[in-house]
Amino acid sequence: MSALELLRLALSRLRTNRLRAALTMLGVIIGVASVVALVGVGQGTTSRITDDLASLGTNLLTISPTEQNQDGSTSLTLDDVTAIADVPGVAGVAPEVSTSQEVTAFDESTTTTIVGTTSAYADVRAYTVWQGTTLTPVSVERELRVAVLGASVADDLGLSEAAIGSEISIGGIGFTVIGILQPKGGSGFQNPDDQVLVPVAAVQKYFVGGDSVRSIGVSVDPSADMDTTNARITALLRERHDLAATDDDDFEIFDQTQLLAAASSISGTLTLLLGGIASISLVVGGIGIMNIMLVSVRERTREIGIRKAIGARALDILAQFLVEALTLSLLGGLLGVALGLGVSALIAQVAGWSFAFTPTTLIAAVMSSLLVGVVFGVWPARQAARLDPIAALRYE
Amino acid sequence: MTTPLIDLDRVSRVYRMGPVEVPALADVSLQIQTGEFVAIVGPSGSGKSTMMNILGCLDRPTHGSYHLAGAPVAELDDDSLARLRSRTIGFVFQSYNLLPRTSALENVATPLLYQGVRRAERLRRARATLERLGLGDRVDHEPTELSGGQQQRVAIARALVTEPALILADEPTGNLDSHAGADVTALLRELHRTGRTVVLITHDIDVAATADRQIHLLDGRLAA
Repeated sequence: MSALELLRLALSRLRTNRLRAALTMLGVIIGVASVVALVGVGQGTTSRITDDLASLGTNLLTISPTEQNQDGSTSLTLDDVTAIADVPGVAGVAPEVSTSQEVTAFDESTTTTIVGTTSAYADVRAYTVWQGTTLTPVSVERELRVAVLGASVADDLGLSEAAIGSEISIGGIGFTVIGILQPKGGSGFQNPDDQVLVPVAAVQKYFVGGDSVRSIGVSVDPSADMDTTNARITALLRERHDLAATDDDDFEIFDQTQLLAAASSISGTLTLLLGGIASISLVVGGIGIMNIMLVSVRERTREIGIRKAIGARALDILAQFLVEALTLSLLGGLLGVALGLGVSALIAQVAGWSFAFTPTTLIAAVMSSLLVGVVFGVWPARQAARLDPIAALRYE
Repeated sequence: MTTPLIDLDRVSRVYRMGPVEVPALADVSLQIQTGEFVAIVGPSGSGKSTMMNILGCLDRPTHGSYHLAGAPVAELDDDSLARLRSRTIGFVFQSYNLLPRTSALENVATPLLYQGVRRAERLRRARATLERLGLGDRVDHEPTELSGGQQQRVAIARALVTEPALILADEPTGNLDSHAGADVTALLRELHRTGRTVVLITHDIDVAATADRQIHLLDGRLAA
């Protein structure tokens, strides 16, 4: 018999007992829906975390001092920054001297992080400009009192494109707004949009004093190896800081990709765990199908006898019952995917969780429901196929 | 003389009940030619059901040989028997044995499904057969919506739809009142008249009398 004939037979059978078919499918529907929803939330969380981390720059090395002197000065200097720029594999270097200050524009004010840096900062930290310009080499060199606002700060101060060129006050000192950055989106750790960029010398001069820097951001050329570049910078800084071979580093280099790898590994495991728990319910759904199919074989013993008498081979009977189980599970799988997507959309709307669905996940969910149908449908179908036609015909 | 349609040569069928062997048929030799209308008569326990199962290729003889339309039944496997039943035999049962919750049309079309006939052709032939038996207005009725006599007619239509060489009827009037029963035997006679081989298995001498030849079974043996 062709697949179409078998499907027609199965559908007409399921139509005659809709309630039972629906209840049988329910197990698979719930199983597949929970797999889809839980894997969806797992993958959604994974991609949100990795996106957040990636928005901070994936090829980023952050150098920070291990010690800070009492006056707040550190071992890292602007000359270190200049020297690192010449290391092979380094794409950009930006010093960072940050301080927390109150920023006021007209009658709005907010307290935020003021980052003293250079024109390289935007490239190193992967920011793009929304309005105006970022720090220019000229403004940094001339130590101008200019400021580039992060998106959140601009928002807090009620400033938009019209504010370019206007005066704001940072810690009581007047600065000219020359640009507003494109928002990066909320991060789990700190809001990358809640900061103001000014020339490094301005921060040193007006707020922190000294000429050391608090940290150095280094973006590595995508074609260069992170670890090699890391080692070269370490060697360079040890030499520049006159450290003896036995001395510990007086700085540390933090590699963003390591954090990224760790985070995606953790959330990947979480996704697997959620999917695993959910697939238990899929197995339970499969057992439900097997149960009903066994009952059905018993109830329809006489029908099987009739079919065999009028010419059905064992294989025809096997196929008929197997396709019935497969139809139940596949239909359940498709409805389960729909339900899973629906529930996820609802939760995303209400609770604001992020869900991510890849076609692979959905196809895998449907395929596993089919697999459940085969695994739990074969045994009842074999029972049906093996029935002796004489006994089956006499069965009451 | 041509090969007989049914050729039983010293056929025995022995059932094992634990250590005890119960012979249901013993040494039965029998030939039925194409086009005959034969009744196999016997009281209950005479081996009629076993005879029906053997003739219908639902069972194999323990000893002896059975050739149906030239095919050696005892030597065939289950699938080959199924194919032989499908092509050669049309069954009519005492309790009709229609598929429940299935229309008369689908019931009659089902044997053709197992012959691999396409659906449109199946339905066309099933409808034609039902119309020939005067059930043209009952094609969409399910078994529960039909009287006993009508159900048996549908069952006969199902037996006929494959144009089988042999119609094998097992107590076809057993569940019917005398009027509907007479109707069914008349129908079987008419099928015989149009050239079909009919084997009727019954305990009822009067029903058996409608056939051209009576074969009597007693205690698993042919009686004279």
